[in-house]
Amino acid sequence: MDENKENKSQAIIEVIDFGPLKITGNFLLKDLQRDKEDSPGEVRLCRCGKSGNKPYCDESHKK
Amino acid sequence: MERNESQYSGGRRYKNNDITVYWKPSACIHASYCYRELLEVFDPSRRPWVDMNGSTTDKIIEVVNLCPTEALAWKWNDEEKNNSVGNDQLNHIKFRRPELMNSDDPDSKEQPVSVKIMADGPIVLKGNFTLSYNGTKKEIHDSMISICRCGVSDHMPFCDGQHRKAGFIG
Repeated sequence: MDENKENKSQAIIEVIDFGPLKITGNFLLKDLQRDKEDSPGEVRLCRCGKSGNKPYCDESHKK
Repeated sequence: MERNESQYSGGRRYKNNDITVYWKPSACIHASYCYRELLEVFDPSRRPWVDMNGSTTDKIIEVVNLCPTEALAWKWNDEEKNNSVGNDQLNHIKFRRPELMNSDDPDSKEQPVSVKIMADGPIVLKGNFTLSYNGTKKEIHDSMISICRCGVSDHMPFCDGQHRKAGFIG
Protein backbone atom coordinates (compact mmCIF):
# COMPACT_ATOMS: atom_id res chain seq x y z
CA MET A 1 0.00 0.00 0.00
CA ASP A 2 2.81 2.30 0.85
CA GLU A 3 4.84 1.49 -2.22
CA ASN A 4 4.60 5.16 -3.16
CA LYS A 5 7.02 5.96 -0.38
CA GLU A 6 9.66 3.81 -1.99
CA ASN A 7 12.15 6.14 -3.62
CA LYS A 8 13.11 4.88 -7.01
CA SER A 9 16.63 5.40 -8.29
CA GLN A 10 16.41 8.03 -11.01
CA ALA A 11 19.92 7.87 -12.41
CA ILE A 12 23.05 5.75 -12.49
CA ILE A 13 26.17 7.55 -11.37
CA GLU A 14 29.23 5.61 -12.39
CA VAL A 15 32.71 6.54 -11.18
CA ILE A 16 34.95 5.15 -13.90
CA ASP A 17 38.36 4.06 -12.57
CA PHE A 18 40.99 6.58 -13.74
CA GLY A 19 38.28 8.16 -15.88
CA PRO A 20 35.26 10.45 -15.80
CA LEU A 21 31.98 10.42 -13.91
CA LYS A 22 29.34 8.88 -16.16
CA ILE A 23 25.74 9.82 -15.41
CA THR A 24 22.76 8.27 -17.17
CA GLY A 25 19.03 8.61 -16.51
CA ASN A 26 16.72 11.27 -15.17
CA PHE A 27 18.87 14.15 -13.98
CA LEU A 28 19.19 17.91 -14.23
CA LEU A 29 22.70 19.22 -14.85
CA LYS A 30 23.31 22.71 -13.48
CA ASP A 31 26.65 24.30 -14.21
CA LEU A 32 27.04 27.13 -11.72
CA GLN A 33 30.44 28.08 -13.13
CA ARG A 34 29.17 28.66 -16.66
CA ASP A 35 25.56 29.41 -15.77
CA LYS A 36 24.08 26.60 -17.92
CA GLU A 37 21.28 24.13 -17.33
CA ASP A 38 20.49 20.94 -19.25
CA SER A 39 18.92 17.46 -19.01
CA PRO A 40 21.09 15.52 -21.45
CA GLY A 41 20.12 11.96 -20.38
CA GLU A 42 23.78 10.95 -20.45
CA VAL A 43 26.94 12.84 -19.66
CA ARG A 44 30.61 12.22 -18.86
CA LEU A 45 32.06 14.72 -16.42
CA CYS A 46 35.77 15.39 -15.93
CA ARG A 47 37.26 14.15 -12.63
CA CYS A 48 40.96 14.76 -13.26
CA GLY A 49 40.87 18.54 -13.55
CA LYS A 50 42.67 18.61 -16.90
CA SER A 51 39.82 18.70 -19.43
CA GLY A 52 39.89 21.55 -21.91
CA ASN A 53 36.10 21.31 -22.17
CA LYS A 54 35.00 21.43 -18.52
CA PRO A 55 32.80 20.23 -16.97
CA TYR A 56 32.88 17.48 -19.61
CA CYS A 57 35.55 14.84 -20.05
CA ASP A 58 37.70 15.27 -23.17
CA GLU A 59 39.95 12.26 -22.49
CA SER A 60 42.78 14.51 -21.24
CA HIS A 61 43.23 12.13 -18.29
CA LYS A 62 44.84 9.65 -20.68
CA LYS A 63 47.61 12.03 -21.63
CA MET B 1 7.94 22.93 13.35
CA GLU B 2 10.35 20.61 15.09
CA ARG B 3 14.00 21.50 15.11
CA ASN B 4 16.64 18.88 14.66
CA GLU B 5 18.68 19.15 17.84
CA SER B 6 21.54 17.00 16.54
CA GLN B 7 22.54 19.93 14.36
CA TYR B 8 23.55 21.87 17.43
CA SER B 9 25.80 19.35 19.13
CA GLY B 10 29.13 17.73 18.49
CA GLY B 11 30.77 20.65 16.71
CA ARG B 12 32.19 24.12 17.22
CA ARG B 13 30.33 27.29 18.08
CA TYR B 14 30.82 30.87 17.00
CA LYS B 15 28.88 33.71 18.60
CA ASN B 16 28.02 37.32 18.05
CA ASN B 17 25.55 39.37 20.12
CA ASP B 18 22.48 37.96 18.33
CA ILE B 19 23.15 34.42 17.15
CA THR B 20 25.38 31.38 17.53
CA VAL B 21 26.61 29.56 14.41
CA TYR B 22 27.24 25.82 14.78
CA TRP B 23 29.85 24.10 12.69
CA LYS B 24 29.99 20.34 12.30
CA PRO B 25 33.02 19.41 10.17
CA SER B 26 32.00 15.76 9.73
CA ALA B 27 28.79 16.80 7.92
CA CYS B 28 30.51 19.14 5.44
CA ILE B 29 30.60 18.02 1.80
CA HIS B 30 32.55 21.12 0.67
CA ALA B 31 29.77 22.46 -1.51
CA SER B 32 31.45 25.83 -0.77
CA TYR B 33 28.37 28.07 -0.72
CA CYS B 34 29.47 29.69 2.56
CA TYR B 35 32.86 31.09 1.60
CA ARG B 36 31.82 31.98 -1.92
CA GLU B 37 29.00 34.13 -0.57
CA LEU B 38 30.68 35.57 2.50
CA LEU B 39 34.44 35.20 2.69
CA GLU B 40 34.57 37.96 5.32
CA VAL B 41 32.91 35.54 7.75
CA PHE B 42 33.69 32.07 6.36
CA ASP B 43 37.34 31.81 5.34
CA PRO B 44 38.71 28.25 5.26
CA SER B 45 42.31 29.50 5.18
CA ARG B 46 41.96 31.45 8.44
CA ARG B 47 41.95 30.11 12.02
CA PRO B 48 39.39 30.21 13.42
CA TRP B 49 37.75 30.04 10.02
CA VAL B 50 34.51 31.72 11.14
CA ASP B 51 34.68 35.41 12.08
CA MET B 52 31.33 36.52 13.45
CA ASN B 53 32.39 40.18 13.27
CA GLY B 54 32.91 39.97 9.53
CA SER B 55 29.33 40.86 8.56
CA THR B 56 25.82 41.59 9.82
CA THR B 57 23.66 39.03 11.61
CA ASP B 58 21.12 39.07 8.74
CA LYS B 59 23.75 38.31 6.15
CA ILE B 60 25.28 35.52 8.27
CA ILE B 61 21.85 33.91 8.70
CA GLU B 62 21.23 34.15 4.95
CA VAL B 63 24.49 32.38 4.12
CA VAL B 64 24.21 29.71 6.84
CA ASN B 65 20.79 28.90 5.37
CA LEU B 66 22.44 28.24 2.01
CA CYS B 67 24.44 25.34 3.45
CA PRO B 68 22.98 22.25 1.75
CA THR B 69 24.04 19.94 4.58
CA GLU B 70 23.80 20.10 8.34
CA ALA B 71 27.40 21.25 8.66
CA LEU B 72 26.32 24.83 9.36
CA ALA B 73 23.37 25.79 11.53
CA TRP B 74 22.40 28.79 13.61
CA LYS B 75 20.25 29.74 16.59
CA TRP B 76 19.23 32.97 18.26
CA ASN B 77 21.07 33.49 21.54
CA ASP B 78 17.73 34.57 22.99
CA GLU B 79 15.93 31.23 23.46
CA GLU B 80 12.54 32.98 23.40
CA LYS B 81 13.18 33.98 19.81
CA ASN B 82 13.93 30.38 18.82
CA ASN B 83 10.46 29.36 19.94
CA SER B 84 8.66 31.67 17.56
CA VAL B 85 9.29 30.31 14.09
CA GLY B 86 9.83 33.18 11.70
CA ASN B 87 10.09 33.13 7.95
CA ASP B 88 13.85 32.94 8.07
CA GLN B 89 13.73 29.74 10.09
CA LEU B 90 11.09 28.26 7.82
CA ASN B 91 13.31 28.87 4.84
CA HIS B 92 16.10 27.24 6.72
CA ILE B 93 14.09 24.06 7.19
CA LYS B 94 12.62 24.15 3.71
CA PHE B 95 16.02 24.25 2.10
CA ARG B 96 17.69 21.63 4.27
CA ARG B 97 14.79 19.28 4.83
CA PRO B 98 12.51 19.49 1.82
CA GLU B 99 10.97 16.16 2.86
CA LEU B 100 9.33 17.95 5.78
CA MET B 101 7.67 20.45 3.49
CA ASN B 102 6.28 18.44 0.55
CA SER B 103 5.82 15.02 2.08
CA ASP B 104 2.50 14.45 0.30
CA ASP B 105 3.75 15.40 -3.13
CA PRO B 106 3.13 12.27 -5.25
CA ASP B 107 5.71 13.32 -7.83
CA SER B 108 8.58 13.71 -5.41
CA LYS B 109 9.83 10.16 -5.91
CA GLU B 110 10.24 10.79 -9.64
CA GLN B 111 12.26 13.97 -9.15
CA PRO B 112 15.28 14.16 -11.43
CA VAL B 113 18.62 13.87 -9.68
CA SER B 114 20.18 17.29 -9.19
CA VAL B 115 23.74 17.42 -10.56
CA LYS B 116 25.45 20.69 -9.72
CA ILE B 117 28.85 21.75 -11.02
CA MET B 118 30.13 24.05 -8.29
CA ALA B 119 32.24 27.01 -9.39
CA ASP B 120 35.89 25.91 -9.02
CA GLY B 121 34.58 23.09 -6.85
CA PRO B 122 33.11 19.59 -6.87
CA ILE B 123 30.11 17.93 -8.51
CA VAL B 124 27.28 17.92 -5.96
CA LEU B 125 24.67 15.18 -6.51
CA LYS B 126 21.33 15.17 -4.74
CA GLY B 127 18.30 12.89 -4.88
CA ASN B 128 17.67 9.18 -5.44
CA PHE B 129 20.33 7.49 -7.48
CA THR B 130 22.57 4.46 -7.86
CA LEU B 131 26.23 5.16 -7.24
CA SER B 132 28.82 2.74 -8.52
CA TYR B 133 32.53 3.04 -7.70
CA ASN B 134 35.46 0.71 -6.95
CA GLY B 135 33.36 -2.24 -8.08
CA THR B 136 30.56 -1.61 -5.57
CA LYS B 137 27.02 -0.33 -6.08
CA LYS B 138 25.15 1.78 -3.55
CA GLU B 139 21.57 3.02 -3.55
CA ILE B 140 21.46 6.63 -2.36
CA HIS B 141 18.07 7.80 -1.09
CA ASP B 142 17.15 11.46 -0.70
CA SER B 143 20.71 12.30 0.06
CA MET B 144 23.64 14.33 -1.13
CA ILE B 145 27.24 13.54 -2.03
CA SER B 146 30.06 15.50 -3.66
CA ILE B 147 32.51 14.12 -6.20
CA CYS B 148 36.01 15.55 -6.71
CA ARG B 149 36.53 17.48 -9.96
CA CYS B 150 40.06 18.81 -9.41
CA GLY B 151 41.87 15.47 -9.22
CA VAL B 152 43.72 16.05 -5.91
CA SER B 153 41.33 14.73 -3.26
CA ASP B 154 42.80 12.27 -0.74
CA HIS B 155 39.38 10.70 -0.43
CA MET B 156 38.58 9.75 -4.04
CA PRO B 157 36.11 9.75 -5.63
CA PHE B 158 34.71 12.17 -3.04
CA CYS B 159 35.60 15.81 -2.53
CA ASP B 160 37.66 16.58 0.58
CA GLY B 161 37.85 20.34 0.11
CA GLN B 162 41.41 20.42 -1.23
CA HIS B 163 40.42 22.09 -4.55
CA ARG B 164 40.74 25.44 -2.87
CA LYS B 165 44.29 24.90 -1.63
CA ALA B 166 45.18 23.42 -5.02
CA GLY B 167 43.91 26.56 -6.75
CA PHE B 168 41.55 24.58 -9.00
CA ILE B 169 39.81 26.70 -11.62
CA GLY B 170 37.00 25.31 -13.75
